[in-house]
Amino acid sequence: MSGETLSPPRRAGIRALDRTVPRTGRRGPRGRTAVRTVVGIVLAAYAAVSVYPFLWMVSAAFKTNKEVQEGGHLLPHDPTLRTFADTWNKLDFFDYFLNSVKVTVLTTVLVVVVYSAASYAFSVLAFPGKKWLYRLFLVLLFVPGVVTLLPIVLLESKLDILGTHWGLILPFVNGSAPLAILLLTNAFSSVPGELREAARMDGAGELRIFSRIYLPLARPAVITIALLTAIPTWNEYQLTRISLNDPHTYTLPIALQAMQSQSVVQYNSLMAAALIMVVPVIVLFLCAQRYFVNGLMGAVKG
Amino acid sequence: MTAGIGTATAAGAGKGAGSPSTAERGGGAPRRGPFGALREKRKQAAWGYLFVAPAIALFAVMGVYTIVYGFSLSFAQWNGFWPEWNWRGFRNYTDLLGGSPTYWPIVKKAAVNTLWVVIAVPLLTVLVAFPLALVLNQVKRFQGVLRSVYFVPYVTTGIAVYFAWNYILEPNGAVNLLLKTVGLGSLQQPQGWLGNPDTALATMIVVMVWSAVPVAMLLYLTGLQSLDSSLLEAAQIDGAGWLRSTTTVVWPLMKPITVVVLLLNVRDSLQGFQSFLIMTNGGPGDSTSVLGLETYRLAFLSELSPTLGLASALGWLLFLAALVVAFINQRVMRRMG
Repeated sequence: MSGETLSPPRRAGIRALDRTVPRTGRRGPRGRTAVRTVVGIVLAAYAAVSVYPFLWMVSAAFKTNKEVQEGGHLLPHDPTLRTFADTWNKLDFFDYFLNSVKVTVLTTVLVVVVYSAASYAFSVLAFPGKKWLYRLFLVLLFVPGVVTLLPIVLLESKLDILGTHWGLILPFVNGSAPLAILLLTNAFSSVPGELREAARMDGAGELRIFSRIYLPLARPAVITIALLTAIPTWNEYQLTRISLNDPHTYTLPIALQAMQSQSVVQYNSLMAAALIMVVPVIVLFLCAQRYFVNGLMGAVKG
Repeated sequence: MTAGIGTATAAGAGKGAGSPSTAERGGGAPRRGPFGALREKRKQAAWGYLFVAPAIALFAVMGVYTIVYGFSLSFAQWNGFWPEWNWRGFRNYTDLLGGSPTYWPIVKKAAVNTLWVVIAVPLLTVLVAFPLALVLNQVKRFQGVLRSVYFVPYVTTGIAVYFAWNYILEPNGAVNLLLKTVGLGSLQQPQGWLGNPDTALATMIVVMVWSAVPVAMLLYLTGLQSLDSSLLEAAQIDGAGWLRSTTTVVWPLMKPITVVVLLLNVRDSLQGFQSFLIMTNGGPGDSTSVLGLETYRLAFLSELSPTLGLASALGWLLFLAALVVAFINQRVMRRMG
């Protein structure tokens, strides 16, 4: 029993050992260097694999069409910004860009607002039918998007929103429901119930508790869900392709598709356009990645 | 920003509540007898319904209608323009499952391809992601940077990166060039990796694994970092080497994560087809046709043929398959405790 009182310092000792044991271990200094080299090579190799298509995308975007067709080297011999400028100007890319931003931002905001509220109810409040409703939303996770695509198109043509941006946003939001509810309900459930009780004693209502306690405490999960919604929405192609007809409403994926289906694919402009599309996502990810990684980890543990 | 969202919700929900002020006032009241408890319970239920109301409303319009409609359409024949559906009972399903000489060969080929994808993608993802996480867990200094770099495929996956893949898989693209440079010129694909029916599906599988590894790697890394280090310690004191302690101690402890990774990827490779739609459109020939893509084609790319019902039926078969997978997954999880 006395071991229990001793355990904290002992554990610390083990942890300290931990850092030294695997390194010194049974291998000599030479073996250690060899292991480190192998580890370094493996890690660097996979890093190269991860960014490989992306590197060529950047490379092609700074090449002329002639150089791209010749192929053969990663670094442009004669880097040019013309490809970018032409692509941006020629194809109303700014309009497409704004359309994409509009659809993505509205979808993401709606997902966060609607499903964090629902998840608060699912995790904290008691009401009849709660379990049943929660399960219903989770089963939706397994309904293939392609089954509902056609009914959505037909429904929207009846409601007269087919081809508009709202005609994209509403199904996107609804489609994000299962994952958002799963993740946010988990996150809210791990908030200690005492906080809610204490706030109620102080006279706070549900809305206040939700917005002042639960939402801030679940920030990693909220940001994770925002990213997990924003990225696929930014890239969405299947529904967008069949519902948008008017070039003024086009989003970036459709613009890219239009460039690719020309008789001769000009890979330098296509890659410049692709880069314009990818860079915002990478920036967004880099800004939010601290929360994102924690949020995903929380989701797994929950 | 979160506060902003909170107040926006408050304004929206307050309108529907009727008398939000009374509810707010009573919110903090302590329990006072059985009657008070009952009132308290009712009030909480009312708030519960209020909070889920927007989600339910959207689901009623965009979800219930579309699902019911899609399900009933799977029992009919229609081309989108006929004034009426032509009911045919289960014929759509039986046609797809062997009854129709026109559609059965298409479905069979797509099913075989899908089976390859559903088996290969999850397994390869685990085979790449687990060792990668192990190695990454060993380094301290560049771990954060590397983790971000490894996340690039996940973050960028979409039409833009699919086109970049198309570009480097071209006959004179970067992949062939790389093979020539490292002396494996005999492996080059003169028709391009997606132009040769023998390599197209395998290439698509590689692309899918490439985009699936980041999340799997992150999940394993999380698992490894929350591992109780004294277990490893004990194994090492018992004289187990790195490889031994990894296979006998670490790998079994990662089983729940492996199950999650497999499930996620089975579902995605069963239903996902965006990469196929954009990169190969099923070709060359039918060498990369998968069930999701065939469903999309039957629904949207078959002009005036009355195949909308068939498309629906095929989609529901995919739903059924995904449910079966989820069910098996749950059983396995339960058995593992």
